[in-house]
Amino acid sequence: MYQQGVGDFKYFVGIHTLEQIATREDRICVLNILGGESSAVSPVSHAFSGGNIVFGTSPGKKGQVLKTAAGDVPVYNNVREGLADGHRFNTGVVYLPPSGVRDGVAELIRVNPALKKVVIVTEKVAVHDAREIRAMAQQAGIDIFGANCLGVADAWNRVRIGGALGGDAPDESLLRGSIAVYSNSGNFTTTIAQYLATEGWGTTTSVSSGKDVYIHFALPEFAYALSNDRRSKAAVVYVEPGGYYEHNLNFTKPVVACVVGRWKAKLTRAVGHAGALGGDGDDAAAKEQWFQEAFGVDEIFTPDNPVVSARGAVVTNIAHIPLALTRVMALSNQQPDFAPKGDLSLKPWFGDSRGLSLPAELNLPVQEAIAPYSKQIAALDQQTGRHFPRRAMKDASGVSQMDPKTQITRLHNQSILDSSTRPLESNLCQALTGEHNGENDNALVNVAIAGNMNLHGDIMIQAADAAREAGNAPNVVLSAALAMLGPNRIDSARKGVDTLVELFVRSGLEDARDEDFDVSVIAISDTQAALFIAEETDPRAEAMLAAIDARGARSVFIRFLKGLERPLSSNAVLAAISATIAWGPLMRKRISSITARSLPWYLKIYASLIGASADGSLHRSDSYCGVPNDELLNRWTVGEMAYLSLMGEQADDASLYAFQVLTGLLTSNGPGSISAQGCKGAVSSDGPETPERVQINKAMIGFMSHTGFSHGGAGYEGIIFLADRFKHTTLTDAGEANHGLDLIAMADAYAEEYSRAKEEAKEAGTGRIGVIAGINHPVFKDKPVNHDPRETFISELFSGRDDYNVFHDFYKKLVTALFQSGATRNVFCVNIDGVISAMLLKMLWPRFRAGTLDEQALEAAAFTIFLYGRMIGCAAEIDDHINRGKNMDTRTPASKLEVVS
Amino acid sequence: MNITGMLHGSKLLNYVGFPTSEVLGPEASEDDIKGMIERHGSVFIKPLFKGGVGKKGKSGLIGRASDLKTALSEKERLYFAVHRHGNVTAKAQGVTFEGAVPAEHEVYFSISDSTRYRAPTITITHKGGVDIEELDPSEIIEVPFEALTGLKAFVIANALSDIGAPKEIVSPLVQYLPKLWELFHHYGMTTLELNPIRMMPGAGGRLVPVACDFKCGFDRDDPRWQRLNLPNQLFAADYSDFEQEINQLRTYQGQSDVYVINDKGTVLAPTFGGGANSAVTEALGDRAIISSDFGGNPPYQKMHDVARISFKHWLKQTNVLFVIGGKSNNTDIETTFRAMADALRDYFIQQGPVPLYVVIGRGGPNLIRGMGAFKDTLDALGVPYRMFGFDSAMSEVVNYALAADEWMRNGGREQVAQKLGLAV
Repeated sequence: MYQQGVGDFKYFVGIHTLEQIATREDRICVLNILGGESSAVSPVSHAFSGGNIVFGTSPGKKGQVLKTAAGDVPVYNNVREGLADGHRFNTGVVYLPPSGVRDGVAELIRVNPALKKVVIVTEKVAVHDAREIRAMAQQAGIDIFGANCLGVADAWNRVRIGGALGGDAPDESLLRGSIAVYSNSGNFTTTIAQYLATEGWGTTTSVSSGKDVYIHFALPEFAYALSNDRRSKAAVVYVEPGGYYEHNLNFTKPVVACVVGRWKAKLTRAVGHAGALGGDGDDAAAKEQWFQEAFGVDEIFTPDNPVVSARGAVVTNIAHIPLALTRVMALSNQQPDFAPKGDLSLKPWFGDSRGLSLPAELNLPVQEAIAPYSKQIAALDQQTGRHFPRRAMKDASGVSQMDPKTQITRLHNQSILDSSTRPLESNLCQALTGEHNGENDNALVNVAIAGNMNLHGDIMIQAADAAREAGNAPNVVLSAALAMLGPNRIDSARKGVDTLVELFVRSGLEDARDEDFDVSVIAISDTQAALFIAEETDPRAEAMLAAIDARGARSVFIRFLKGLERPLSSNAVLAAISATIAWGPLMRKRISSITARSLPWYLKIYASLIGASADGSLHRSDSYCGVPNDELLNRWTVGEMAYLSLMGEQADDASLYAFQVLTGLLTSNGPGSISAQGCKGAVSSDGPETPERVQINKAMIGFMSHTGFSHGGAGYEGIIFLADRFKHTTLTDAGEANHGLDLIAMADAYAEEYSRAKEEAKEAGTGRIGVIAGINHPVFKDKPVNHDPRETFISELFSGRDDYNVFHDFYKKLVTALFQSGATRNVFCVNIDGVISAMLLKMLWPRFRAGTLDEQALEAAAFTIFLYGRMIGCAAEIDDHINRGKNMDTRTPASKLEVVS
Repeated sequence: MNITGMLHGSKLLNYVGFPTSEVLGPEASEDDIKGMIERHGSVFIKPLFKGGVGKKGKSGLIGRASDLKTALSEKERLYFAVHRHGNVTAKAQGVTFEGAVPAEHEVYFSISDSTRYRAPTITITHKGGVDIEELDPSEIIEVPFEALTGLKAFVIANALSDIGAPKEIVSPLVQYLPKLWELFHHYGMTTLELNPIRMMPGAGGRLVPVACDFKCGFDRDDPRWQRLNLPNQLFAADYSDFEQEINQLRTYQGQSDVYVINDKGTVLAPTFGGGANSAVTEALGDRAIISSDFGGNPPYQKMHDVARISFKHWLKQTNVLFVIGGKSNNTDIETTFRAMADALRDYFIQQGPVPLYVVIGRGGPNLIRGMGAFKDTLDALGVPYRMFGFDSAMSEVVNYALAADEWMRNGGREQVAQKLGLAV
């Protein structure tokens, strides 16, 4: 069933001439106008076309607008509301996800009797839906373009409808002329237009047909409308294999046909007869033949073999289209529309041969790009560091990503499992620079942390102690300290980094560790120098400088500042260390100058958090936790210092390794974790669009206020569970494989106990009993063999070091025992919290056994180690949100909120 | 995504109540086979291919046996049979045994979408069981029908009348064939073909159509096929490991269509846009490792994953990394280039450097920022490169990439390796 439209088609066609495809009179309604693609494309289309979009729809967003240079476009929940508000349109544009396309088209047809055309931009629409769309449109007498197309455009009318023909600068490609374009490829629609200009041909109507099984406005209809178009003297068509749309065409004007895709025939498998009937005869070779017959030519046109007739030519390379067209048109004395614009020869815009002896054909010199790109390239050369486009960063992150299947998070594309094998000092920086430190940078970070960790005489430790005294958990204690580390205290270091970058950025300095770099060529003004100079000798700065020497660490910036021959402030040293670490990534445009500038603040925050976790009484003028300041500065690593702060003692190798693995594992759980949400909210509320105003210490407090006994204390529950199982045993060394304990019997005993408790709870009707801490992560349940990949990783890591952990071993036996006793239906897995508990308890066991550590101290230790790890991931999220986010972008729209009674 | 053969076909047909021949899988015991021979007089033995392979009969890959011994020897012959078509070979993994259905009439029937009629269309003939392309056009008919009303009895009745089908088969076919529309339309199929349908005498002599072979193709953009709960591995043979890994990233935003063209190729060309893909793959010929369309404005993470997977599989053998597309209308060049450059850097860090020559041709939004990001990365990695804007013809850029590959093949790769400090 179809309405009879124009011509004698055996189906409905409404377009009589190409002029009618995209006119100035068309009025448009865009479905899903605020979607990602439409919100970028529609404003350009609207402005280019003189404001032809009357409204758009986006469920739940009525009242919002799409901002465009030609004025705001109103948004409604649905089409009916827009019509009820008095808007009228004849053309629908569909940007819905594939599953919604059919229903969207149905709704457009149902509620708008004035509908004449629909452009479907969406790709991957099911054939099933296309079939039904075809039938609906045929019944209602509507022309459909697409799906999977870039829409239609008209260079004469200066209108484009639907997709992004001509990109963000339609005027560059849609040059008025006499050639109509029809293309199966959206991109080639405008690429062809741009190529045509090199021979002086402009365009009339351009149709991106799409390349789905159903092409609703296909070549037969195009050929008909071309005949009737008074403006078009000829057409270029680009087609690919598949379908009989090009068979038996009747062109009345010259046409250059480009057929590409012979290679696809190689990929096909033998198919059944239906495939043979419907598919095998429509490959590229067949289509070339159809066009050759239509044009009366017997070969493919190439510049060397220019076979044309007055009816047309067939090419297989789009670069040959312009010349073929000129030759075809010359046969009927038709001249190009304008003087040739540009040429298609090879012009490299960027290049580097790396000093290789390349043949001349490869060794092409870089040429100045066409405007406006040449200006952009010049600006790029001047740009220091990376620039990020801003967007709403609610629930989004540019630095971390958790794989929902494995639960493994990647930070800067590096798995936290890898982070766990790196030194803590390297992880601190990788979170911000995206790159791990070399030995030199590690040495500098160790000095930066050691130089700022001892808070003797600093109000930070007084605040922390007061908070501790009041019975607060470690997160609140550390937050109190950080509240004292506001922007004023770090201002000169941040400006210092800016100044060093400014001074050196055009100096040719490639490696900030370069001992041979001549710093005497760098001229520094008195105002600039004043940023670095202390009024009187700063002992902290002196000690840090001495430590840098003692460790043999190199830094061009330290060398340069020393050359000022004035006493330096500790912030100056921190600035120089930060600039050294940031230099490579900044010059490689891996990080932004915002990140480089913030680095001293992050380092100071790291140091203060580690320091404030030890009681104030342990911060002395000459020592920290009993270790002389000089020794810390000159020799200790951040890992060792953090362990010292937490445990009050120097770590042995095994403990230090376990400690670093733990902090690595705890680094991040992606932007959805509560801690990340806390710090992102804190950045968002300060307004990242003015990055200098974001209080990074407050953002860190935001992270810490979003941790607690549930989020951060999970390791503690496991410790208590394990301690309960082992406190009555004779275990002294948790790392001794010959512990003499029958772990299987212990596991069986507990499994039985658990089964009994479960049974009793069931009988008593008191519901389910609690889960066992450290096992059964919900994501991995219902599998016969059940391993948390993170647990497997740790297990292998430590067994490779011959490092035994009796608690971990017990956990593994417990999950089997629980299954075998019938307490659980599946073998549960030991989850990452279980692993953490086992590692932590192993570290703390000697003191717990000796009775010098009570349960509260155990909990504080478990919580603090979580904070150490997570501060790294949250620093990354904070910095990322400052760089990419928008002001107040973590808000939840009112429409998404729930009211609960 | 195709299925051929009765092993799975009979299950699908049972969903809509269409009669089928009896079928046993490769695990059938000798007793089972013997029983089947006793019930049906003889059995057909057909190799079992994953995915879709047609025209087995023509290739001599169908056996028939009326005793157990022959059946077992045919099983042995066909169990790992190889089927070749052009460049593509498929290897059987087992056989099916199908009970013979006695019949006077064999019918061919298919439903697919016709681009001539732009509607779902049936093809039917009562002279089925042979290659229908060889039949006289008057004996076969194609009939389009309305998708919204579906395949109705009158469509079948009219079609059979037009080709002069024997009257005894008309009524049963009119009764049964419309059921196939349910299977075709509601489970995401693009093609459904039964050949032959044998018209078996039933109770009272009335003929019953029995499907004796089955082929269908599914639309991978249509989730309806998942309602059938087919085992995933059924389609595994359709794709290489690389293709499968990339396919897992299929979402509606951003194309991710890939094919392996030559697993010994040396030009790795992530292309953007269907047109560019077609044009570039054609021009690169056997030098191309893959053919791809990564356009459609993929978000960063998807592009990064696509690049990471492509590099993991192919970078080691690559001479020229060739990133190519036209002047994009919508795809953000900065996002896609940064993602690829980051993936390349990650590869170099994790797997070590690879001697490469990088050639890029592109246009579109944020072009210079995107090229800048790639440039910074390539400079850091020490790899030679040239980047062309959209004012250089794509075909010329392809020729440049081919010339770079030629140079790399003839000593250039060693030179680049030396520059990168790699042992030659």
